[in-house]
Amino acid sequence: MSEFAAFHDELRAVAKDVLGTTEPGGQVAEPPELDWQVVVDAGWSGLEVAESLDGAGATFAEVAVVLEELGRAAAPSPFLGTVALGVGTLDLLQPSAGRDGLLQRIAAGERTVAVAVVDGADGDGVVERADAPFRLTSTPDGLRLYGTAAFVPDAPGADRFLVLATGPDDRLVFVVVHDDQAGLDVTPQPLLDATQRVGTVVADGVEVSDAGVLTFTHDADATVRAVLDRGALAVACDALGVGAAMLDGTVAYAGMREQFGRPIGSFQAVKHQCADMLVHVSVARELVVAAVDALVRDPFDASVAVSMAKAYACDMAVDVAGRAMQLHGGIGYTWESGIHVFLKRAALDRSLFGSPPAHRRRLALRYDAAPVQPDPVQ
Amino acid sequence: MAAPTDDLEDFRASVREWCRAHIPSDWRAAQTGVDNDAFVAFQKDWFAQLHGAGYAVPHWPREWGGGMSTAEQIVLFQELAAHDAPRLVVAFVGIHHAASTLLAAGTDEQRQRHLPAILEGEIWCQGFSEPDAGSDLASLSTSARAVNDGWVVNGQKVWASGALHADWCLLLARTDADAPKRRGISYFLMDMRSTGLDVRTIRQATGEAHFCEVFLNDVHIPTANLVGEENAGWQVAQATLGAERGLTMLELAERLANGFRWLVELCAQPGPGGSRPIDDPRVQDRLAAFDTEITGLRSLCRGVVERVESGAAGPADASVVKLFYSELLQRLTGFGAEVDGLSGHTVLQKPLSSGWESGAWMLDFISSWEWTIPGGTSEIQRNIIGERGLGLPREPSVP
Repeated sequence: MSEFAAFHDELRAVAKDVLGTTEPGGQVAEPPELDWQVVVDAGWSGLEVAESLDGAGATFAEVAVVLEELGRAAAPSPFLGTVALGVGTLDLLQPSAGRDGLLQRIAAGERTVAVAVVDGADGDGVVERADAPFRLTSTPDGLRLYGTAAFVPDAPGADRFLVLATGPDDRLVFVVVHDDQAGLDVTPQPLLDATQRVGTVVADGVEVSDAGVLTFTHDADATVRAVLDRGALAVACDALGVGAAMLDGTVAYAGMREQFGRPIGSFQAVKHQCADMLVHVSVARELVVAAVDALVRDPFDASVAVSMAKAYACDMAVDVAGRAMQLHGGIGYTWESGIHVFLKRAALDRSLFGSPPAHRRRLALRYDAAPVQPDPVQ
Repeated sequence: MAAPTDDLEDFRASVREWCRAHIPSDWRAAQTGVDNDAFVAFQKDWFAQLHGAGYAVPHWPREWGGGMSTAEQIVLFQELAAHDAPRLVVAFVGIHHAASTLLAAGTDEQRQRHLPAILEGEIWCQGFSEPDAGSDLASLSTSARAVNDGWVVNGQKVWASGALHADWCLLLARTDADAPKRRGISYFLMDMRSTGLDVRTIRQATGEAHFCEVFLNDVHIPTANLVGEENAGWQVAQATLGAERGLTMLELAERLANGFRWLVELCAQPGPGGSRPIDDPRVQDRLAAFDTEITGLRSLCRGVVERVESGAAGPADASVVKLFYSELLQRLTGFGAEVDGLSGHTVLQKPLSSGWESGAWMLDFISSWEWTIPGGTSEIQRNIIGERGLGLPREPSVP
């Protein structure tokens, strides 16, 4: 990956500039919404869209750089839903006028997307077999969509919804519906983390055209797993950025804030916690980079690396943000300092797309293939 | 990481073949409950065999007998670990600390004198710490008084691992008692057959006794055995400690990964009640967490080694790796001891040439403190990481 290292450095520098995170320790209580036009102008919305569809033809490795920087800024934006999930999912589906057109519009900045693959109220997002939250029914008047999914990332404000449905023939499909269609109800779910948006998507007989039905190129279960892996890894990248920001901000603060006649960072109790934070972030970075490499190489064979990265990076971010709050003292606990923003974002990242224990459960499946046989003689 | 090349896979196959042919199948029994002489003899023989295959010093520069790429070294260590190869203990200081020092700061004459000799089995120990100079190594008081043809040394060293059977010693002594403490230290190569040396073993928590006290009574060191400039020994010592940590960690990380596989096997055994730990979701969770951390550690080690090679190493890189490895080893062996239960407490000895994760989990757990304390305590590593890695202010201290 070293030939892209220089490009990634540049991408990172531009992102820091755009997001205002060039200097550490600039946390604010209410990070401003990132202007989507800025994202589009920087070329980020079309990063993973093919060049033939007016995108940059880049990979998830480049998207991952932006995701981390968004985490570092705790920036509210629909990047996760539209770019990380939307484009990523569409890229795994059969080319069609509907699919290609949507990709083109995303690249052009004309559409934002939310992807609903699981009902967040129902499971922990680490699934072996897809269980579609929606149903596509065939009626005399055409195809109709029914179902519910809660905690859909970036649902509030999305123009298009890409949802996993069981089709009339009981096969899994992805369905595209528009935000202004009759029968579709999107309700924002306000969260403690005010920098990320989720919503409940309810479909009650929403009209779906043939062009709105997108089919898989690979096995349905494998594709759904690939989408969820992508979501988990995207969130892990965000968590990595959150952790890095909290480490940098804490070190900056500890070097400046004086008590007992000297900077608090000169006391071992503070210094040692910062050292632990650095080790934690460093190991998380190794795992996230390895998972990004794995996903770029083969999106259908990255689950182990993704689960490791997701579990570790999200545990790390909560731990590091928590220590940041602790080491900022009284100030850290105020609303105004903005440290709480990162702690809440880290905690939400940890819960989205599978908790650390859920991912570790998946990892543990590899350890012992032979279950103990019960004694046949009763 | 790039997909393995054919060359690398050929290399792996040849290492495997060598391991099958050369690792004595009964070495564990042969190294359990034996005396020091038997241990040293076994270690020397094992080193000679590894060296014969070109596997003993893969991290050395090519012109001195090394030159394996990082990727090849990883393959070598993976296979040695997977085949439960004995660990190089007696040769450790020689091939790592001594070699790094001589390569970084020694004269050509010193290199010529010792590097080939190390490959022929010359054994080294480290004479740094003293009873009153552990973490505060710079406060050491073993003195080296200048004479016509060298120095005369008096004092006491402690924790010198393997000093009893060492041929040579890396010695730090004070040559200027009036200078600020870090600027009055010199670095010497000391012949362990010198008159005036008295070596006594110290028993460790595990029951073994490979650490030693070394009493120096008017020991003469010739001029040719000074490394670097007089009173510039502190800087030479930093070069030693930093340089070797990355490369030794590479092997340790691969051995730890293999140790994890044994831990999983342990958990798959029925316990006293008949149930298997591995069927307990809490055990599965712990195993998956260790799996994840070891994967991260291996990646971290590789990254540090690559940065050292390209000259881009950060000042705290080695400390981050050492701290993380040592505490992970402690948690892993602690968990192994927990799972091993009461029967694990009946294992009173482990094979002398085994790794830090030998399968004797309770003893491995006790000996894990040999990684969190020596080589710079975890507390010192955190200071280094905080100050040199993160740029946090130092505590006021005596200059």
